[in-house]
Amino acid sequence: MNVRNLWFKRFVPLFAMGILVVGLFATAGAETINVGSLNDMTGATSDVGKDYALGIAEAIHYVTDNGGVNGKEIKLYQFDYGYRVPEALTKYNLFKRLKCVAVLGWGTGDTEALSPTITKDKMPYVSASYSGHLANPQKTPYNLFFATDYSTNARAAITAWFDKKWPAHKDYGKRKPRFACSYMFASPYCSAPIKAIKDQATILGFEIGPDQDVSLFAIDTKSQILALKEFKPDLVWHGNTTMSVAATVRDAYSLGLGAGHIVNNWGYDENLPRLAGEAAEGVMGAAVCAFFGEDVPLMDKVVEYAKKYNPGIPPEKRLIRTVQAWGDVLILWEALKRADKAGDLGGESILKNGFETFENFDIHLGAPPVTYTSTDHRVAGQVPIYEWKDGAFRLVERVDLKGRWPDKWANEWLGW
Amino acid sequence: MSTTFLPCSVYHEDYTQDHAWWQTKFVRGKMILLFLLLFVVIPPFADAYVMSVCNQIGYTILGALGVQLLIGYCGQVTLGHAAFLAVGAYTSTLLVLEFPWPKFLLDWGLAYPISIIIAAIVAGIWSVLFGLPSAKVKGFYLILTTMAAQFVTVDFVIAQYVSKIGGRGQAFSLPPGTIKIGPWVIDSDRKVYFMMLVLVILCVIGLANLLRSRAGRAWVAIRDNDISAEVMGINVVKYKLLAFFVAGFIGGIAGAFWISNLAAISYEHFPWFWSLWLVGVILIGGVGSIHGAIFGAIFMVVVMEGLQLAVMPLADTYPKLLIYFLFIKEAAFGLAICAFLIFEPNGLAYRWWQIKNYFNLWPFSY
Repeated sequence: MNVRNLWFKRFVPLFAMGILVVGLFATAGAETINVGSLNDMTGATSDVGKDYALGIAEAIHYVTDNGGVNGKEIKLYQFDYGYRVPEALTKYNLFKRLKCVAVLGWGTGDTEALSPTITKDKMPYVSASYSGHLANPQKTPYNLFFATDYSTNARAAITAWFDKKWPAHKDYGKRKPRFACSYMFASPYCSAPIKAIKDQATILGFEIGPDQDVSLFAIDTKSQILALKEFKPDLVWHGNTTMSVAATVRDAYSLGLGAGHIVNNWGYDENLPRLAGEAAEGVMGAAVCAFFGEDVPLMDKVVEYAKKYNPGIPPEKRLIRTVQAWGDVLILWEALKRADKAGDLGGESILKNGFETFENFDIHLGAPPVTYTSTDHRVAGQVPIYEWKDGAFRLVERVDLKGRWPDKWANEWLGW
Repeated sequence: MSTTFLPCSVYHEDYTQDHAWWQTKFVRGKMILLFLLLFVVIPPFADAYVMSVCNQIGYTILGALGVQLLIGYCGQVTLGHAAFLAVGAYTSTLLVLEFPWPKFLLDWGLAYPISIIIAAIVAGIWSVLFGLPSAKVKGFYLILTTMAAQFVTVDFVIAQYVSKIGGRGQAFSLPPGTIKIGPWVIDSDRKVYFMMLVLVILCVIGLANLLRSRAGRAWVAIRDNDISAEVMGINVVKYKLLAFFVAGFIGGIAGAFWISNLAAISYEHFPWFWSLWLVGVILIGGVGSIHGAIFGAIFMVVVMEGLQLAVMPLADTYPKLLIYFLFIKEAAFGLAICAFLIFEPNGLAYRWWQIKNYFNLWPFSY
């Protein structure tokens, strides 16, 4: 028998059996509360997904070190699904098998594909997809997130620019400001808030120009910028993620577009000025929480746990995505504590006795206090809008949409 | 791969016996047991997780069968097969959601089954379009043209145009109850599983029969040496395009099947990596064998899931293992392909063939 045959006949079957036996008996412990986490660390959105995944694990360590859920430990089952929806579906069923009481989800792909299933299963699904379409509990009661939704962010960003920048413009009072959108038309994430921001532009009296289709993977957007130049916008909304937003802002700068820029959450992070250079100066965006390392309550813990559990990654390379992950974990933690106190850790109880009892619950980290009701899952009507200026992200304004347009907020803007 | 040897003392007396799929009582018994296992034994005992793993295996098999036909039987290397799955999925979805079906067809629950057939035909024709360059180019150049199928179809046509039909501008939503066959509403992993089994069996039977027909022999001849095949009188272009059609057809069925497992369909569900993954499946399973597509799919899905499950108990002792393992899984995919190319280039199907022959020839295996 030669070595090759030996390898196959003895080692491979033993190894495979070992894996399957260990795998089949992999069950959850009885004294812990199991939580699943779907992350993308290797797929199409891994540029922001890696940092988010690290943040999830670090935040769970923080929860454990601070007493867990009323003394019960949270056991995290964290899987990379590589942004492949087939795997997301399988992993979700694995979470059910592991008796996970809630899932920390990731992107629009898995969130949308799983939405009816989690509603049927009554499984709280706290994801990083902040689409306004998920904020209406009549349709998606178990989809939750700690942040202000994309539509609210977009309305706030255009309002902040209108409040703070337009009055300083040389044409202020002489004509309407001109506004255009740049985003990937077909992407669910990018297109989610477009209807809302155009509605807000109409309310504020903007003249709206043609949209520009920019791929999420774009590295050259000169043709779109040249098309925009014909309209001469004063303000451009960027709905993509950081890499393509940086390319668009850079091309706008080099071609002298002369417009202001506002950016949605997933396009606005510490990498934007790194990639766009001086073109990033003055770019405003909805950050949903403080940037990594910013001087806000609880940030010291975020930094401490990042250094402790991932010392190989320098803190200056960490992103706001870590802070966002903490935000999602912190609201889930609080909801679990409240549901546990009520004596029931089932999905419905986590929603009713947990999340929907939040009233201005402060998670710190520069995020607005969180409120959920049984009829409205938009966490807050107030959005912090930042600007990259003189080498730092600076808070421009906390736009209070709920306070300024209470009727529209209550009756018109939910769920889109 | 050669044919399986018959067991000792079994002789064929006519062509019917010689061409039978199941040539001995033992094989017939074995297949009946397999059917019982798949249809009767597994479903009641398997939980939603096992069902979804099975469904993923089925989806991978359906996807890989087309790749197997193109690469394994016809020698046409493809790296854009996910595009044809996407065409099938979108065609079926659009037909179910947008087409003005006559009321009786909707009442009888025939919209989805008919959409599967149309989706398969559309995907087949779309595949032929991207197979046209195979008339002129082969090898690495053909890989590039098939890759173009992915970028043109998914990233351009579907992302920019198709996904906007009906004013959606983003993902198509498939509300619960949309997908049904007759009165049978497909709304659980278990129901998807049964549909998957039927489709996989039909596609395997169809492809296996096709492969032993004139077309199948022509494909194998083209794979082995296209110039010799042409000299023998085989219309090489015609059969290459037929291979692309059949591969796209099966890919269309795979895509149309997969929407039954989703609540929303987006172009993001069909990344280029999936095409690469399907090629990996047949490399590990065995190139040039239908068994190869099946074994490869089972191996890729089950081993990846098993590896992840295996790490879980260890994560209690080594808390960092779980999160660091996330990276290892992707590496394991590459490593598995390398290992198979080095140690078992004929794939798992070859090993299966050897095992079968060992027992068939026993005790005179020498």
